[in-house]
Amino acid sequence: MRYLIKFSKESDIKFVAHLDFMRTIQRMMKRSGLPVEYSKGFNPHINLSLAQPLAVGVYSSGDYMDAAFEEEIDENIIIEKLNASAPIGIKVFEAKKVKEEENKRVFKSMAAIDAAKYRIKIKYNNVDFLNEDMEKLLNLEQWNTIKKTKRGEGEVDIKSQVKDFDYSVVDNILVMRTIISCGSRENLSAELLAKFIQDNTGESNKDAFIDIRREEMYAEVEKKLVPLYKYAETI
Amino acid sequence: MLEYKNMINARGGFLMNKISDDILFKVEKPVRYVGGEINSYNKDINKVDIRFAFCFPDVYEVGMSHLGTRILYHVLNEREDTFCERVFAPWTDMEGLMRENNILLYGLESKDPIKGFDFVGFTLQYEMSYTNILNMLDLAGIPIRASERGEDSPIVMCGGPCAYNPEPLYDIADFFAIGEGEEQMNEIMDLYRKYKGKGQKKEFLRELSHIEGIYVPSLYSVDYNEDGTIKEFKPLYEDVPTKIKKRIIKNFNDVAYPIDKFIVPYGEIVHDRIVLETFRGCTRGCRFCQAGIVYRPVREKKTDKLLEMAEKLIKSTGYSELSLTSLSICDYSDLQNLIYKLVRKHEKDKVGVSLPSLRIDSFSVDLINEIQKVRKTGLTFAPEAGTQRMRDVINKGVTEQNLMDSARSAFESGWSTIKLYFMIGLPYETIEDVEGIADLAQKVVDQYFGVPKEKRKKGLKVTVSTAIFVPKPFTPFQWIPQIKMEDVKEEIGTLRSSIKSRNINYNWHETPVSYLEAVFARGDRRICDVLIKAFQKGAKFDGWSQYFNFDIWMEAIEQCGIDGDFYAYRERSYDETLPWDFIDVGVSKEFLIRENERAKRAEITPDCRLGCENCGVNVKLEGECFEGALFNKVQ
Repeated sequence: MRYLIKFSKESDIKFVAHLDFMRTIQRMMKRSGLPVEYSKGFNPHINLSLAQPLAVGVYSSGDYMDAAFEEEIDENIIIEKLNASAPIGIKVFEAKKVKEEENKRVFKSMAAIDAAKYRIKIKYNNVDFLNEDMEKLLNLEQWNTIKKTKRGEGEVDIKSQVKDFDYSVVDNILVMRTIISCGSRENLSAELLAKFIQDNTGESNKDAFIDIRREEMYAEVEKKLVPLYKYAETI
Repeated sequence: MLEYKNMINARGGFLMNKISDDILFKVEKPVRYVGGEINSYNKDINKVDIRFAFCFPDVYEVGMSHLGTRILYHVLNEREDTFCERVFAPWTDMEGLMRENNILLYGLESKDPIKGFDFVGFTLQYEMSYTNILNMLDLAGIPIRASERGEDSPIVMCGGPCAYNPEPLYDIADFFAIGEGEEQMNEIMDLYRKYKGKGQKKEFLRELSHIEGIYVPSLYSVDYNEDGTIKEFKPLYEDVPTKIKKRIIKNFNDVAYPIDKFIVPYGEIVHDRIVLETFRGCTRGCRFCQAGIVYRPVREKKTDKLLEMAEKLIKSTGYSELSLTSLSICDYSDLQNLIYKLVRKHEKDKVGVSLPSLRIDSFSVDLINEIQKVRKTGLTFAPEAGTQRMRDVINKGVTEQNLMDSARSAFESGWSTIKLYFMIGLPYETIEDVEGIADLAQKVVDQYFGVPKEKRKKGLKVTVSTAIFVPKPFTPFQWIPQIKMEDVKEEIGTLRSSIKSRNINYNWHETPVSYLEAVFARGDRRICDVLIKAFQKGAKFDGWSQYFNFDIWMEAIEQCGIDGDFYAYRERSYDETLPWDFIDVGVSKEFLIRENERAKRAEITPDCRLGCENCGVNVKLEGECFEGALFNKVQ
């Protein structure tokens, strides 16, 4: 039985790297006593995959994983047992059974996502001209920046991958809320976006940590973005 | 959680610590510094009386792999009145940022500076971590010399295997705890409650010296002869004991263990698995081995107890590997049964069982096949020496035939990678003994090719590793000079040219680190100044080759007017007062002398399960040999 599980990786553990985080989740699953399904082979692993890895330092209040259990389990029991065995920094919010039909591809959150919502905070030494700088930026047709890929470096326009963008200035901090492309079809890293904003506004504190929190992940259905756990109910 | 944090410390002073994301995002492996792991403790500091900083003088991944740290952390935190926190040596990148931002060394649990704690305890696992102890004290804002610390500084204690020769740290620690700490730690805390907050550190230390196994160096004086040897070591007061007797746990089956509170780190550590301690002590009597002497007598946990512990540990951690640990694991008297039951019971949960390096005389293919069912583990043998004569000298009761039989059966059951560990620079060694290492490795290769092609796995790889022998206190070789550095070079060269097969891979370390290890292992109080000098000159992380700087050490030794060779290369006579003679490990000096004399004649001493060799441990300590063991097996 396959389930889509919504969980958080909170600020406390934002520096846990992806592979370590995967191990942490596997152990949480084992502690929960749920009838997890194992891969075959010499080094059996729990069948588990995350929708999209988080970069070191980025945390999330709305991430997703696909998990498989050997039998059907009440969704609330899954949530309860996982929360009881979770370490500090992981909370489980939703568990949705995913329909499996013969001759149909199994649901994979990795393949289903199209966008993700982020809150990004950048520290500034001086914010007197920040609103002005931001307005100028927003009026630009394109946000061209250098993107590193496996094939090398190249200039790309990242504005086309920004689906929603809003900001405010609180004390010395620029707080942005944005929805950007995420997933296998088109992907914009929140860090790249944050770096672009930081580099194209004056007086940012380049020595400070940029705080990035992912808040939700979406699938696009008929030109509308639907949170993944809701999307899973409809298929 | 990590941002600006204020606190009123236990002593009423106001301290502040900040370990912000602005710092953490700049360092390598920031998870080392954040804590909050599952099964770690957190306590309301207003509800505890005693705050303890348990310090491991190396990085998090190394320190968290140390079982003793986990056990004592558990013992202390089981007390309602005590909050024990972990502290590891920050890596140099973090240290730099901490110094730059005036961040004092802090406890991983509360992030409070340990400067305000009641106790700062260090575990001494290897001599080359000593500069890290000094660096950690300095980073904590605590004076490094015990003689310069006042009432407002925490009490600094040290324990662990290197505490069996505590003298090189005599002016760093306020006191040393000798032997096993599970019971003693509670006695120390109980006594401290009586003195806490009264400004009577001296009085506390004096009364503490009455607890068995406690050594308070400031209560003793040392006089030297003109030749530099010790003339007299004596207590300054009548009530202070002349001999310090090591502590042992008598009911080992029921000793405290973090069964429900075994910490699972977020990041990968060196030994990232459940560790289940099966027994303490060793009966083999290898003459180079300090652990084999100081951890006597042998005491075992019962199989049923271990099975029950394993089940709880698996449930509370979620780990999928469990490693059985002890010295010489195959000597556990019910090993076959224990492994069989563990594997059967946890197969369905995909939990694998692993064993640390195996002795070749007890290697059983059935046993390994049992383990392999779930998960493959590495195959390592430690013959230690290349010739039978040399193995007899060191009393490694292993024959060439043992190794060949084991290698053969390993190859027959599908292994093709074998590691062989040896030592060079052993006492009474000749160049033939060194060449013998190459011969032995070649014979292992021949065993492989003796197995029919269709039965053996392709890609034979035999890895030979040599370490340089360091004579240690409380071994039959404690009087012996260490091999000279130039001779090490020659031996390694000989061995390299003696290895012919392309299937043999030779790893060696030709490093002056072992010279310093020898100086510290058998050092006295005068070495403490060298340590402090080297630290002031920038020595730290000496166990990490990228930081080890021999020149700093040679300068420090010279500037302190010390002759390093006096400690490393000098042959001691049996009647010399050795710096660690005041410690009673239970094994008598007469036994050690007898063993050294036998070594000279290449005479072996059988495993004491076959008959008591009168080492003294069962007479001098109250423990019993083989407590809890089944007597069905001597291999």
